[in-house]
Amino acid sequence: MAQHNLGTVVSFEFLRTISKKRFWVGTLSVPLIMAVVFGLIYISNSSTASAADAQEKAEFSISYTDASGLITPEQAGLFKATQAASPEQGVEGVRSGTVDAYFEFPADPATTEVKVYGADQGLFENNKYSAVAEAMLNQAVNARIGSDALATLAAGKASIDVTTFKDGQKAGGFNAALPPLMFLVIFYALIILLAGQMLSSTLEEKENRVTEMILTTLNPTTLISGKVIALFGIGLVQMIVFASPVAISYLFFRDQIKIPDLDLAALVFEPVPMIIGFLLLIGGFALFTTTLVAIGAVMPTAKEAGNFMGVMMALIFVPFYAISLIFSNPQALIVQVFTYFPFSSPVTAMLRNGLGSLSIGEAAIVIAILFIGSAIMFRLAVRLFQYGSISYTSKVNIKTALSKGRNTSPPVSTNPGKRES
Amino acid sequence: MSEALVHIENFRMDFGDKTVIRDLSFDVARGETFGFLGSNGSGKTTTIRALLGIYQPTGGSLHIDGRPFKPEDGDRLGYLPEERGLYKKEKVIDIMTYFGRLKGIDRHAAKTWSLQYLDRVGLPDKANVQLDKLSGGQQQKVQLGVTIMNEPELLILDEPTKGFDPVNRRLLMDIIAEQKTTGATVVMVTHQMEEVERLCDRVILLKNGTAEAYGTIDEVQNQYGGRVIRLKHAGPVPPSPRYTVTLSETNYSELSITDDTDEADILKDLIAAGVTVRGFTTTKISLEEIFIRVYGDQNKADAATYETAKV
Repeated sequence: MAQHNLGTVVSFEFLRTISKKRFWVGTLSVPLIMAVVFGLIYISNSSTASAADAQEKAEFSISYTDASGLITPEQAGLFKATQAASPEQGVEGVRSGTVDAYFEFPADPATTEVKVYGADQGLFENNKYSAVAEAMLNQAVNARIGSDALATLAAGKASIDVTTFKDGQKAGGFNAALPPLMFLVIFYALIILLAGQMLSSTLEEKENRVTEMILTTLNPTTLISGKVIALFGIGLVQMIVFASPVAISYLFFRDQIKIPDLDLAALVFEPVPMIIGFLLLIGGFALFTTTLVAIGAVMPTAKEAGNFMGVMMALIFVPFYAISLIFSNPQALIVQVFTYFPFSSPVTAMLRNGLGSLSIGEAAIVIAILFIGSAIMFRLAVRLFQYGSISYTSKVNIKTALSKGRNTSPPVSTNPGKRES
Repeated sequence: MSEALVHIENFRMDFGDKTVIRDLSFDVARGETFGFLGSNGSGKTTTIRALLGIYQPTGGSLHIDGRPFKPEDGDRLGYLPEERGLYKKEKVIDIMTYFGRLKGIDRHAAKTWSLQYLDRVGLPDKANVQLDKLSGGQQQKVQLGVTIMNEPELLILDEPTKGFDPVNRRLLMDIIAEQKTTGATVVMVTHQMEEVERLCDRVILLKNGTAEAYGTIDEVQNQYGGRVIRLKHAGPVPPSPRYTVTLSETNYSELSITDDTDEADILKDLIAAGVTVRGFTTTKISLEEIFIRVYGDQNKADAATYETAKV
């Protein structure tokens, strides 16, 4: 009957969560906010483009002086700019409103700044003056170079393709690093979204006084397993919901909202890092879930358990204190500690796996630590739930719950004036 | 007595340095209704929890159907714990169906049974209501339904009438009586002595971690004097080896007598001793009187301890 009951528990825990209005309010609020943000970006980009176009096409009167001799009158004429007699006259022209802008090009624009004076059009609108001054200078320089190709190179716009080799094979580079790093994103999303539910999943039985009914109906191992599986399912639902606006935006509105043009076809899915990343994700998720479930079994109320959740959440962010070392020196002591300490290892190891600095041997050790840790925490969670969750109003004495006698406290009646019976 | 469904032998239960049960042995026969009695703190709930594997006994053995209880063994157990509670934020029908499924009933049958039960206990319109929207008594009815929905072979009820008004208490007792007629073995932990007398075949009284009395209700009554003479009188009641004065007030006394004593002889003795007898009634000692007799001293001791602690 255990197998049958596992399915019953998974389905009950999963359905009762996703059938709640508050679940969908919370879950849909994230993509809704994202949709609003994307919408605002879209509108902003449209208006920015319009404003840029308007700026580019905006005609305003310009006077200039050029001590460098780079700008010829013909080139200035393209911008309808007229030469001022002197800088003082140019500035005065702007001040008096006879011209909209005056540009003072120095003798050596490479070392001395170009001075721009203009009629104030507001903080952002004023940018058009510097943009046009720069355009005038660029055009003059490009004309001196005399070749569009050389001008492009001089502007540092050369296209460079890097190829590296690993173990004699062409390495995937950034395109190979990205797929395994997606497991890290998934891990963060799952833990951040589900930590509260993980913690409260066993607290609920205790707070609702369902423990005795459950323990005499169902094996606690089946119950805890069912809860963990249901949590994973709920996490997947939330991730699909959260990812949907990103995917939709990428597929249909990429140009409008200026998502970087990521060529998915170029991504390299190397089997070993992908398998390692997947195992690290499963092991890390299992370890955090079982640990939070165990904490829930020990604490009498959600409020008291909440303090421990903060610690657990901090642990998944701790590796970022050593992020530069994780990138530059994976063998540093602090990186090694973070790699092998069970609660910081999922993040550290997944980062290193994506960056290609986690060897197969190291990965095997970390995966073993995570799975063994999960198994231990699972047994601990089951045992604490089985023999500790009956302590409805007080913290479970872990030592007592795990000892041979394993009884935490005699029953205390809720009847006033009554002791145990 | 028929074959024992519940067998407890030399059960001992310690919590740290506190011993709740010292040495307890008893059987509950298949098909009987068994009263588990004791004062607050005597260890009744502890014994039930140990029997159901929630606590591990310090010593002894506790068996149901010849083996320690495990939920996965598929025994048809119905347990109504003293600490009541179900999933408060779920609909009544969902909770009942869930527990029905856990007890091996298919979804449709569990739902059908639940709706019929809710109709019977006066909650036909509450199936789709969230549990915490129901009153305490209504929640108790739902919990009782969850307890009996798998036609339990063994029904353990820890203070089943707690929180029920007299009308619903009667309904509950009728349901328990029905379970008895279907052949279920019922173990009742309760302080309602009249219900024990009405429903139970045998009882056990727990005191100081051991069985103070154990047997059929007649046997227990006999153990504590069997019959009681309620005497209205004038003049002092003299001591006699034929009876024990268990209550003595002005013009009223209660005399406890054993089975082999003839009430007529006592009446003759009293008249001969110069007692003016104005009323003479013989009744069986009630379980409530036995309870008060057994636990009265303990309560006085507890009160004295409390007073001492306060000082």
